[in-house]
Amino acid sequence: MALIIIFSLALMHYTKFGRAGASPMESVLKDFLAPAQGLAMNLGHRLRGLVSLPFDLFNAADENQLMKKQIIELEGRMRQYEELRAENERLKKLLDFKTGVAPVKGYELVAAAVIGRDPGNWFGTITINKGSGEGMIPNMTVINEQGLVGRIVSVTRNTAEVLLITDSRSGVAALVQENRVPGMVEGVASSPGQVRMVHIPIGSDVSRGQAVVTSGFGSLYPKGIPIGWTLESDKEPSGLFNRAVIVPYVDFNRLEEVMVITGVRTPRSVTGESGIPHPWGEGKADVRGRSPGAVRAGEAGGVVGR
Amino acid sequence: MRLYLLLFLLLAALFLQVTLLNLLSVFGVKPDLVLITVVFNAFLRGPREGALLGFLGGLFVDLATGSYVGMNSLSMMSVGYLVGLTESKLYKDSSLMVVFLVWLSSFAAQFSNYILLWLMEVYIAPGVALLNVIIPTATYTALLVPLSYRRFYRSNHEGWLCSKL
Repeated sequence: MALIIIFSLALMHYTKFGRAGASPMESVLKDFLAPAQGLAMNLGHRLRGLVSLPFDLFNAADENQLMKKQIIELEGRMRQYEELRAENERLKKLLDFKTGVAPVKGYELVAAAVIGRDPGNWFGTITINKGSGEGMIPNMTVINEQGLVGRIVSVTRNTAEVLLITDSRSGVAALVQENRVPGMVEGVASSPGQVRMVHIPIGSDVSRGQAVVTSGFGSLYPKGIPIGWTLESDKEPSGLFNRAVIVPYVDFNRLEEVMVITGVRTPRSVTGESGIPHPWGEGKADVRGRSPGAVRAGEAGGVVGR
Repeated sequence: MRLYLLLFLLLAALFLQVTLLNLLSVFGVKPDLVLITVVFNAFLRGPREGALLGFLGGLFVDLATGSYVGMNSLSMMSVGYLVGLTESKLYKDSSLMVVFLVWLSSFAAQFSNYILLWLMEVYIAPGVALLNVIIPTATYTALLVPLSYRRFYRSNHEGWLCSKL
């Protein structure tokens, strides 16, 4: 017994912390056990995972619920951001128009949002959120950055009703920009994608893809506002005139913001016309939302302010 | 209570028509929810209520349109009355029957509007009116019946709409 105690104490002293290496016996034992130790530890981890699995699953279910909620919340936020981004883009276009094209044309503009449409299918009218309180009066021209939208037909204190050019009651004095052929653009019931140009003199050369702009006759609409492009033409049933199908530049199904022309001043400069940004500047005529240089020299000056 | 609820339904239908339904328009046409409400009620309650609700619904639409006030009042009142006459004659449990009835009612109301517009000197080519407005509107409106009739029918029998006017 005393020998064992003495041996143990001696062994403790020999193997105290700070020695350089392991004894041969220790080395053999450690090296021999190392693979088995690895296996045992691995198995232990797995067993622990197996034992704790139900508890982990319980937590995972909670986490799953939480993450689902977060995903829904984040998706909602994404949609909001997307909506804001789209709105921002639309407003930027309006602003570009207001600061770029409008001064060149001499337009004084008030921006308005579309807040309603006609409840039926016979007429094409929209309601905007600006009324007599903001200076709106009947017959003011309504446009957006793509072209002519219509004109105000009635106002209340806070709203105004706009007759779209696609309404069958609407008539706009117009001309084909390229060859100055006159006509009258009128709406077709329940066809937001098309209007008609009627009373085109027989023998006039109207071919596909020509731009049509307001002529300014009658002083209802300022001169030179892009309306649309010609799709096809044929003879009117009376045989006295030609008529043409016009595709409007404005996308009437997606009208959300518009601008009301509250007055027309003398244009800034005629030479400034060449610097008009897209889409009122240079461009191909037969594409919705893109209109060619809508105004020729001096056209915008043809209408007096209201 | 029932009257207020029906008025609320008409106003809600009108609100949808001037706002959200424009996003769901097909070929430039949107369904007539006000007419659906009028026809359902007339079909289940008879000509008297049909004519009254038709008049009120039409008046709301006219006021929202802002012009030709009276046009929709007249057409929907007539349609409400005529549909109401079928109350005791047709089997009410069949959605298919109501789909047909709504299509016919919408066609009649739109056609009557066309005639009234013509009298007001708004001339629209008959072909355009028929193919661009009257038939598409009637069809789109009738297609919405299966989504809503059973609910209205149940409410009329044992729900909020089952009391007297």
